[in-house]
Amino acid sequence: MDSSSSDGRPAISLRGVHVLYGRIMALDIERLTIASGERVFVLGCSGSGKTTLSRMIKARVRPSAGKLSVLGIDPCALGRASRSAYERCIAMIDQEFHLVPRLSVMDNLMTGALGRVPVAASLLGWYPLAELERAEAILAEVDLEGLEGRRVDTLSGGQRQRVAIARALMQNAEIIVADEPVSNLDPELAEDALELLVDCVARRGVTLLVNLHQPDLARRFASRIVGLSAGRVVYDGPPEAFGDKQTEFLYRAEAPDFKVIRAVKRGEAGAEPA
Amino acid sequence: MANLRRTWMRRASAHGAFWAATVALAVGLIMLGDFEFENFKGSGSRFTRFFTRMAPPDWSVTHLVLRSTAETLTIAFVGTLLALIVSLPLGFLAASNMTPPWIAQPTKWLLGFIRSIPLIVVAMILVTAVGLGPLTGTLAIAFHSVGMLGKFYAEEFETADRGVINAVRGSGANWLQTVRFGLFPQCVPQVLAFTIYRFEMNFRDAAVLGLVGAGGIGLYIQMYIGGFQYQKVAVLLIVIIVVVTALDQLSFWARRWVR
Repeated sequence: MDSSSSDGRPAISLRGVHVLYGRIMALDIERLTIASGERVFVLGCSGSGKTTLSRMIKARVRPSAGKLSVLGIDPCALGRASRSAYERCIAMIDQEFHLVPRLSVMDNLMTGALGRVPVAASLLGWYPLAELERAEAILAEVDLEGLEGRRVDTLSGGQRQRVAIARALMQNAEIIVADEPVSNLDPELAEDALELLVDCVARRGVTLLVNLHQPDLARRFASRIVGLSAGRVVYDGPPEAFGDKQTEFLYRAEAPDFKVIRAVKRGEAGAEPA
Repeated sequence: MANLRRTWMRRASAHGAFWAATVALAVGLIMLGDFEFENFKGSGSRFTRFFTRMAPPDWSVTHLVLRSTAETLTIAFVGTLLALIVSLPLGFLAASNMTPPWIAQPTKWLLGFIRSIPLIVVAMILVTAVGLGPLTGTLAIAFHSVGMLGKFYAEEFETADRGVINAVRGSGANWLQTVRFGLFPQCVPQVLAFTIYRFEMNFRDAAVLGLVGAGGIGLYIQMYIGGFQYQKVAVLLIVIIVVVTALDQLSFWARRWVR
């Protein structure tokens, strides 16, 4: 649970990981290591494997082959109880936020704490005082003070985004995975939301993995950029080195169609250098 | 143009075939059964006689009728409440997005079994087992409603947004917490609306239950109609109509209030 557990162990490590959806290779990563506390922004076209990568880290997709290690754990080898404990360490922010409608901002925040509070009391809506104080502090941090009693379905898009961030922070996770978290917001709100997310994450030293469609925003907030194309890592480096040339290469017109994806099917892929 | 016309013709003939088949089925079934249409002869004047003998209503029984109506309302209300308490957990277990098939499917069978026993049969069994009176009526209403409410709740839960449920479960919540905070809040308006609707139906059902001695207004319906005391029956009908209409309005307001 301790968020500053940078004992040299990488937060996320992939070795020869393949994910196949039927005959289609969604992900084919020879080697990717993310250290604890890094802010990695993953760029790439739709269908390049960004979502598959984040869902795999959240243990919702299994690799078809290869070795995946998150926080030193292989998420595929977990039983039911340990899987729940594992999921608690990974917070997820979705494109659609998936807040619980009809519940208040505060209740939504507290769902992030459900894994560690007494079950019977939580079912009645009673939480330990320490958790309530934590929630209050987080509400202040994301600038939602005074809205704790409002139902989330009455909030604006930007406010909902901040509730989603607050819920992820409330989870006290070691890794926060955000899958296109700002694609539902206008450019200005998107920038504000990302800035907020990155600030909160940096304060806690949490590892951040963000899928994004805006290279300029990634350049601004990332400590490292990973470019995916047809399920493969085609760029991995500092944001300063990710220029217009790389952007054009990543989003070039002849984007990976099914032919290209089939060409990197398992077996054929091994012959080519990564 | 010809194409459009052909499409239209095909659809019109499909509709025609559907209605022809349905009506033919109904007519066939009627011909198999013992429908005696000649009974209609003279029934008009008998209707008229029935209604003229109701006037004027005999208001001397008002307090009796009101008291038994209150009893029927109690049977319906407590019965629906008991059914709600039992059906919610059964609904969660029967919802295929919350439980594995080997739990969801048997629970659905159980609900179907409960539903398939006619209310009047449940009441007659309970009268012999528990005895006469409103307690029996309440239990009968509760038992029968569990079958209906449980099925509806389960179907409603199954339409809940999967992403929200996953988001709550993914933050480390256990099954109960996921149900409480991920699933249930999404379904509250529909659950409430159907429970109120069931309460309205239960009032009408409970009014009939008195016929088998399970308490409430039904006893007087049977007594006054059987004794040809139509002026007292008139009071019964007026009170029932007023109560049902009032419940209808109340449930409309309640459903509008909960969004």
